[in-house]
Amino acid sequence: MVSFFKNKGQMKKREKQKIDDKDQSKSKKLEYIDSSISANLDHMKKKTGNSPDIIVRTLKISQNPEIKTTILYVQGLIDNPSVTDFLIESIMKNPHLKEKLLPKEALDVISEEVVSLGGVESVTDWEKLFLSLLSGDSIIFVDGINKALVASTRGGERRSIQEPSTHLTVRGSREGFTESNATNIAMLRRIINSQDLWIESMKIGTVTKTDVSIMYINGIAKEGIVEEVKKRLKGINIDSILESGYIEQLIEDQVMTPFPTLNHTERPDMVAGNLLEGRVAIFVNGSPFVLVAPALFVQFFQSVEDYYNRFDIASATRFLRIIVFIISIVGPAVYVAATTFHQEMIPSKLLVIVAAQRETVPLPAVVEALVMEITFEILREASLRMPKVVGSTMSIVGALVIGQAAVQAGAVSPAMVIIVSITAIASFATPSYSIAISARIVRFGFIICAGVLGFYGMILAFIVLIVHLCSLRSFGVPYMSPLAPLNPEGLGDTFFRRPMWAFKERPKLLSSNNNLIREGDNQRPLPPESRGMKTSDKKKGEGNES
Amino acid sequence: MNRKWLVLLLMIGTTFTSGCWDKKELNEIAIVSAMGIDKDKEGKLVGTFQIINPGNVAGSLQGGGGTNPAISVYRATGNNVLGLDSIASTKISRDMYFAHANLIVIGEEIAKEEGINAIFDAFERSPEFRATSRIVIARGVKARDIVETLTAIDKVSAEKVIRTIESSEKQQGRSISVNLQEVIKNLVSTGKEPIISGFTVKGNTDKEDKMENTQTSDIEANPTTAGIGVFKDGKLIDWLDGNKAIGSMWVLDRIAHTNLNIDWNDKKDAITYQVQRQKTNVAAKMKNGKPKMLIKVLVEGDIREANIPVNLNSPHVLIDIEKRLAKDLKKEMEDAIVRAQKNKSDIFGFGEIMHESHPKEWKKIEKDWDDVSFPKLEVDVQVETFIRRTGLRNKPYLSNLKKSDQ
Repeated sequence: MVSFFKNKGQMKKREKQKIDDKDQSKSKKLEYIDSSISANLDHMKKKTGNSPDIIVRTLKISQNPEIKTTILYVQGLIDNPSVTDFLIESIMKNPHLKEKLLPKEALDVISEEVVSLGGVESVTDWEKLFLSLLSGDSIIFVDGINKALVASTRGGERRSIQEPSTHLTVRGSREGFTESNATNIAMLRRIINSQDLWIESMKIGTVTKTDVSIMYINGIAKEGIVEEVKKRLKGINIDSILESGYIEQLIEDQVMTPFPTLNHTERPDMVAGNLLEGRVAIFVNGSPFVLVAPALFVQFFQSVEDYYNRFDIASATRFLRIIVFIISIVGPAVYVAATTFHQEMIPSKLLVIVAAQRETVPLPAVVEALVMEITFEILREASLRMPKVVGSTMSIVGALVIGQAAVQAGAVSPAMVIIVSITAIASFATPSYSIAISARIVRFGFIICAGVLGFYGMILAFIVLIVHLCSLRSFGVPYMSPLAPLNPEGLGDTFFRRPMWAFKERPKLLSSNNNLIREGDNQRPLPPESRGMKTSDKKKGEGNES
Repeated sequence: MNRKWLVLLLMIGTTFTSGCWDKKELNEIAIVSAMGIDKDKEGKLVGTFQIINPGNVAGSLQGGGGTNPAISVYRATGNNVLGLDSIASTKISRDMYFAHANLIVIGEEIAKEEGINAIFDAFERSPEFRATSRIVIARGVKARDIVETLTAIDKVSAEKVIRTIESSEKQQGRSISVNLQEVIKNLVSTGKEPIISGFTVKGNTDKEDKMENTQTSDIEANPTTAGIGVFKDGKLIDWLDGNKAIGSMWVLDRIAHTNLNIDWNDKKDAITYQVQRQKTNVAAKMKNGKPKMLIKVLVEGDIREANIPVNLNSPHVLIDIEKRLAKDLKKEMEDAIVRAQKNKSDIFGFGEIMHESHPKEWKKIEKDWDDVSFPKLEVDVQVETFIRRTGLRNKPYLSNLKKSDQ
């Protein structure tokens, strides 16, 4: 904790250096608010470069003498009704302020009796004042007092809650996270009504001062993991955090890997499920993607819907996803290896068909596969980035050029087009986008290995891949658990999902070990023991038979 | 750290500089689908290689199927099998690839005069050749005639030959589909002799390798199955046809479906019984110090044709039919066994059964099993037939005709 303060102090120092370059004071000393309003306003204008969106509203209160009061707020960041109705109007019309007041009393009266807003506090240093002002709070100066009141009036235009655009499900909540941290945290509060849902906030980014909150369930989350997350977040020293991706890249365990070691999601129900397994969520203001740590390999094949559907269906779809992932990694590689090294593996009739297609193809199969895969990646990237208006043009060109012309010209074999298409579809069928991207990169490695050494090369690549996956950690938790190290209890939620009535315990490596039990005994639903008429019928029948 | 990267780089380097190992692009290989082996006048081997023209096989993209032959044939002469391969390579622009050579055709001359013992080593030793390649004997024609023939429905004639043998075995039991592995196993076994299906080309054999052969609906030169060849000491000694072939297949327990006909009220082959399920059990016994074989056959099937008015409702009639069927079948099998004993060739593997059940006694008689013990072997055949159904109706409609006064 000591080191944390030290770091923060250094951060402030740098911040100051940037803001006022010519300011001679390089000390850590805080600047305090002056008692004169005009001095304060001058200081303010100087610091903010006289930005026009900072609105200054001057009022007069009290009588004999009148006391100048100034309200400051940033246009667009505030909730307009709060400022006009509960701040300005209250101050102007309140009878207390019509009476004679001493400047010293004025501030207390305003805060205690006049302002009808939720959060009001007084500040003395500019640092806090600017932070509040630029977050959307309103500042009240009273002439002659070296303090300011901060009234909580945050608001303004934000995107409303919408259906998430990733992690779509048929069944389940339609809510998706927004860019506002407060809204996002509230969504979680609505799902988990427990005082054990603990939240800690901090500002990260020396310039952006982005709100970052971590959330966990006290008693379920492992303390070690929570401490580790906090430690890593506090260690971040960067000018800006524009998206949760910044945080992800700054706190992940292993940098040199194509596999994600943090999960991100737009779905509050998914975050809730993860919190209840002992994970920690990281909310970043301005991003609808909430990070979840630690993330395990199997987690990327799980969809929230798995838990909403009955276990047999959920298990079947899980299994399908694993197959799909394997196809998306090794699909073209298998084709290359089989057609250039192991022709004996292909059934004779199929071999003749493939051979006929390859008669005119000038490129070796491995080059053909690489060319087609790269073409597909180009198409995919282009269709993501281009304006929607030209979308149809692109798909026509893509389908015609690659699907028709290249095949008819004999430059590419139709079998290759089929393989690449299946692989492409497979990579989109993986529920997590981040692991699908990893699969795409790994796929190229496999194609090259298959082109050089056939299936032997693929097996080598596969061994390297497995060893690499087993060496990864996510916040100290082995990436491949519960598969490696094997935890038989945890296997119930990997390639298949056990029935809801059999989910007795939380994952051991993630959750606090004092609090593993998540459901009571005998949760399996059973039909009522007595079936009334039917029981007697059955007895009769048995009697007849004997 | 640098050292670590260097080692890694070297490891990757050695992997990738090894080149593309035994890479063969599909358009660099000639897919051999069948191979025929004959003998020329000087006694040298003549190999005929059937190579698939992938582009001309129907269904492929270029649409060349139909106008050009789906196969090309190359010929080579040499002293041994591998010699053929190397000589043929002087004529073919691509590497011959044998992993899909599913058919080996052996000329009748070689099979009769020299025997097949010496041929198979190259096939068995090669990593490319499959142990499951089918083997047939060209009966009455040269092996090259079968390999060269262009066929209609299955464009690649190797495919056609294999399928014909399989369907003939399955539907009738007149052929036997054997592969390289089985033949070699039976050649070295003292208790079993190999049998190999025969194949021939019937019709206008001058035209069999011309495209016009396939351009008529009534194909002029058509490869057909032709009995089962019996081997002794690796040489072809006899051909089994018709009922003899089927009888042998019954003993071998390789019948899937076949028809049994019986006469009824003096009408020949009046009732046809189709076998649906069967099981043949062969057991060896020692009786008075001599081996005796017990063959028990259980047959289940349907009546599929009745050309005479017969009351199939009556269980007595059905039992009568069953008995007659059993009698006929028993005779068929016994005839086949007698023929084998005359040939002094234990194609049924009775010797192996003896070996399994009475190893001590087998040791004594193993040496002259084929020539002494097998021809004198006492064989007891028991047949039990059962009529499961009589098709979709019981009484034939003939019973209802006004003319018949039944």
